Amino acid sequence: MTYPSDTPPFLASDHLSRRTHDILTARLEEDASAVPRTLSTTAFTVLERLVSVLLPQEDILGQQTLNLALRVDMALSGPRDGWRFAELPPDIQAWEQALLTLSDLSISQFDRPFSQLEDNAVEIFLDGMGEGKVGLDAPRRLTPPQMQKWALDLRADVIECFLADPRVQDRLGMSANLNGGDERFQGFETVQANEREDFEPVTKISSAA
Amino acid sequence: MKTYAETDILDVIVIGSGAGGAPLAARLAQAGKSVLVLEAGPKFTPAHYTSDEIEAREIYWLNERLSGGRNPQPFGGNNSGTGVGGSLLHYGAFLPRPDARDFQLHTETGRSVDWPFRYEELLPYIEEVEAFIGVSGPAQYPWDSSRQYAYAPPPANPAAIKMREACDAVGLRHADGPTALITRSFNQPHFGERKGCVSCGACHQGCRNGAKSGTDNTWLPLAVAYGAEIRPGCFVHTIETDQAGRVTGVVYKQNGQDIRQRCEKLVLSAGAVETARLLLHNGLANSSGQVGENYMTHISTQIWGEIDQEVRPNRGYPSLTITEDMMRPKDADFAGGYLIQSLGMMPLTWASNIARGSTRRGADLVRTLAGYNRSIGMGIHGDCMPSPENRVVLSDEKDSFGIPKPLITHSYGPNELAMHAHASRLLTRMWQAIGARDLRILDRAAHMMGTARMGKDSGSAVVTPYGQSFDIDNLWISDHSTFPSATAANPALTIMALSLRTADAMLTH
Repeated sequence: MTYPSDTPPFLASDHLSRRTHDILTARLEEDASAVPRTLSTTAFTVLERLVSVLLPQEDILGQQTLNLALRVDMALSGPRDGWRFAELPPDIQAWEQALLTLSDLSISQFDRPFSQLEDNAVEIFLDGMGEGKVGLDAPRRLTPPQMQKWALDLRADVIECFLADPRVQDRLGMSANLNGGDERFQGFETVQANEREDFEPVTKISSAA
Repeated sequence: MKTYAETDILDVIVIGSGAGGAPLAARLAQAGKSVLVLEAGPKFTPAHYTSDEIEAREIYWLNERLSGGRNPQPFGGNNSGTGVGGSLLHYGAFLPRPDARDFQLHTETGRSVDWPFRYEELLPYIEEVEAFIGVSGPAQYPWDSSRQYAYAPPPANPAAIKMREACDAVGLRHADGPTALITRSFNQPHFGERKGCVSCGACHQGCRNGAKSGTDNTWLPLAVAYGAEIRPGCFVHTIETDQAGRVTGVVYKQNGQDIRQRCEKLVLSAGAVETARLLLHNGLANSSGQVGENYMTHISTQIWGEIDQEVRPNRGYPSLTITEDMMRPKDADFAGGYLIQSLGMMPLTWASNIARGSTRRGADLVRTLAGYNRSIGMGIHGDCMPSPENRVVLSDEKDSFGIPKPLITHSYGPNELAMHAHASRLLTRMWQAIGARDLRILDRAAHMMGTARMGKDSGSAVVTPYGQSFDIDNLWISDHSTFPSATAANPALTIMALSLRTADAMLTH
């Protein structure tokens, strides 16, 4: 089997099960040609802008970034995680209303669409949501306490969709999916610090500490 | 496997195939009872489990729950499983014994409640569970010199080693914790070969080689060998009763069809949310008004930090090192205590905790995520008291079965807040002592208990100290719903021990 140039080499490892291989390979193409299927166009453009400031992918992936907003949009229509905050409507509704709340606030406060806001303005919205200071008391919009809860879901979904991609896992040197193949379920021979096994990707990005 | 006809009247129907239902099913089948276990989830093939944390959600209970209160609790992978084997398919296999003092916390402190019997009464069952399922642990357990474990501990990963160093630095004893996995291959009776743990690190995504001691590779094969049927894909929604109020059977949904199955006795082992929901939805066994009340969790504060070594926290058994020295801290401003364990973690779970537990964004967030391979953690499990604030009720919203979704309210009280604060200070001091940097405290709760508590008084408890309903004599509960208080120990061992004890009571009452 041949792989495109940006396909992580670890996908060919016999330390990866066939099922996990297929899951990860399918995920590589997840955002190739699709358009949003869950959120409205307005809501989606807000999400795209939010995601670009919350998680600047270029620092990890260079120019080969994911369409992360689209992946989140697709995840919203898939199986969820089994719970939601009691104060929020069902997930799809909550995301639509939260993003439209930000859209409305952008127009009223900055007189332009959210997608055209400067990074600094988006950062203020992100921080304000976390502090429970951003929201609207209007029909089909979320109040500040609701936005505070939703902001946690936003963060979790965006980060999960990002780390679920095998290219990201490769760049960060993650071997979590290389925990054993089908022919032989190998696990890890060493779990000691600073002992990387040959099949584990090297870490290519430096960290915070 | 023997199968029963829809027209058969079973001696016992058990709802749920996890830690609460499976040991009891095996015990009753061994005693010659006809037993049917109805499991809402599918039967999985262990070799097919995937380490991909998105797809691995298939083993979590994903029917939506509404989570409220000041400390709204995540469900799904945090505490609730599905499939033949229940939540033990995804549990972390950390298997400490409950502390005897936690059963008498009211007597000790005037706060919380006592259990209706002493720890010593449960101990023979605890030992039986450990011996049967296979548990690894140290040759000498510092907090109980009489204890023996059949298997040597798995290899220590860097988080475990660093926690040992941190304990030494602050003067705490430490040991390899009791873990419900086997470290050499074993031919499990009625199941077949279970391989030794290979340090793959994906316990929470399902064990692929049988090393982890669940019910799917221990109690359930035993039950089946003695004539029990395990029926997957069966979601029970209705409990039927006769004019005298006794249970006559259940109705479950399977492949879109409603199917009635009758029984002489019914055991609910569906977990603290689903057991309560089933009783509330059917309006049963609630003369005490306590069904759904006193929902409890474990205070599960974590600390994470980075060190100057590549540790790859996905590798190895995730949470090996334990200290029980904080079970009654001398400087405590709270009742009860907590266990500390080391933590490795799979990447999405780790990152999701950061997402929900911090406000990092932009380059700061990216650098934090990039630090995964240098990250080590510790976490606690702290006792939680019953509180009238915390409960499971039926919401106004229906699920796909047409049953109201559960609404769970969970807020820490003063005791829980004090314990969280105490642990936060200690964990910080420990990680600082070994030079970890970029420290992050995560305020979180895990597990679930309560909602149908046992007791001696029918006015304040749902079931007797053996799990029998005060209101309906052929209705029993065998899961963590019956816990009067949380205790600090991870609940699986206590649930399994109680399950055997309830089975013995059913055979003699």
